[in-house]
Amino acid sequence: MIANFFKNIFGKKNESKNVAKQRLKFALIYDHLEVTEDILEALHKDMVEVISKYFEIDQEAFKLDIRRSDELSALVVNTPILSAKRKRKQAQPDPT
Amino acid sequence: MDGKIIVVTSGKGGVGKTTATASIGAALALEGKKVAVVDMDIGLRNLDVVMGLENRIVFNIVDAVKGRCKLKQAAIKDRRIDNLFLIPASQSDNKNVLDPEEMVRFSSMLRRHFDYVFMDCPAGIERGFENSVAAADEALVICTPEVAAVRDADRVIGLLYARSITPKLVVNRIVPALVERGDMLSHVDMVDVLSVELIGLVEMDDQVVVSTNTGVPLVMQKTSKAGAAFRRIAMRLNGQVDLPIQVPEASGGLFKKFRSKFGLKK
Ligand SMILES: Nc1ncnc2c1ncn2[C@@H]1O[C@H](COP(=O)(O)OP(=O)(O)OP(=O)(O)O)[C@@H](O)[C@H]1O
Ligand SMILES: [Mg+2]
Repeated sequence: MIANFFKNIFGKKNESKNVAKQRLKFALIYDHLEVTEDILEALHKDMVEVISKYFEIDQEAFKLDIRRSDELSALVVNTPILSAKRKRKQAQPDPT
Repeated sequence: MDGKIIVVTSGKGGVGKTTATASIGAALALEGKKVAVVDMDIGLRNLDVVMGLENRIVFNIVDAVKGRCKLKQAAIKDRRIDNLFLIPASQSDNKNVLDPEEMVRFSSMLRRHFDYVFMDCPAGIERGFENSVAAADEALVICTPEVAAVRDADRVIGLLYARSITPKLVVNRIVPALVERGDMLSHVDMVDVLSVELIGLVEMDDQVVVSTNTGVPLVMQKTSKAGAAFRRIAMRLNGQVDLPIQVPEASGGLFKKFRSKFGLKK
């Protein structure tokens, strides 16, 4: 079509709707990643619990964050490890 | 009867929920279906004036739900279209007078009396929204081709899916010339971003204002393009799923497009 021919010549750069669409896509990605305080708190609690099974951690210093950049979002967990927990013994009979 | 309850919602305000409710409801009634349109915007009623029935209100939805009147008394018969009934909102109450549970109970009564019941949802996602979707079988999401409206539509679509309702999208207030110039999101862009099924495309139409001024239903105005689009949406809802969706086109044709590409015409 002739209309398409001109579109190709002039390119799509100056079409403002493409800007709108791009902005929308990012906005929706952000929106979908938005978690409520409640969920973050519950996740925090669960993670501390799980990690504590394997490591001695400083529970006060445990940090959980969602970090966003243009490209992607990441769940960032930061926790000082005090020591590794010794492997739990596999159901050994009590000597006493 | 075992009627269908369809909620008309959007998230963002002012995108055309009330216009769509009145028009699609009228179109289905003209097809011979028994239709109720319910104004769920408690405290800010609107659908009554759009339909030209504001002088006939005696009872309202709150009265009907609370059992202060019979359903029959709250359902106002349209002046022009048989089979079309309006259940108006109450103007004095607070949004929180109704709750979703009451609405579910009330809706089972509505189902027995009507083929189609449209819930005209207020803007936002608070109690009014909750009440409107409480008993809904289907949902129409109205959205205009604007960033803010699409974003809010996405939020509402998420909430509907969470209730196991699969919504259908109506794009309203399309300006074909702007779309063709690339300065307005097209329905293809919107469907792409929202990943939702499309049910109709309604263009910007002066007749909408004329219709609200006079109270004459848009779908009865032969020359209204928006009216025709709403009629087609009604047919699709009513089982004609194969009816193709017409894409609004700018009048003026190729020559105008050609000139505008060269900046000869603003
Ligand atoms: N296709 C259209 N062409 C022209 N004007 C329109 C169209 N659709 C809606 N309008 C106008 O836009 C305005 C808002 O429409 P409407 O009241 O239906 O929106 P709404 O979503 O119900 O608003 P609210 O969120 O306040 O309830 C009205 O003035 C209406 O006449
Ligand atoms: Mg409204």
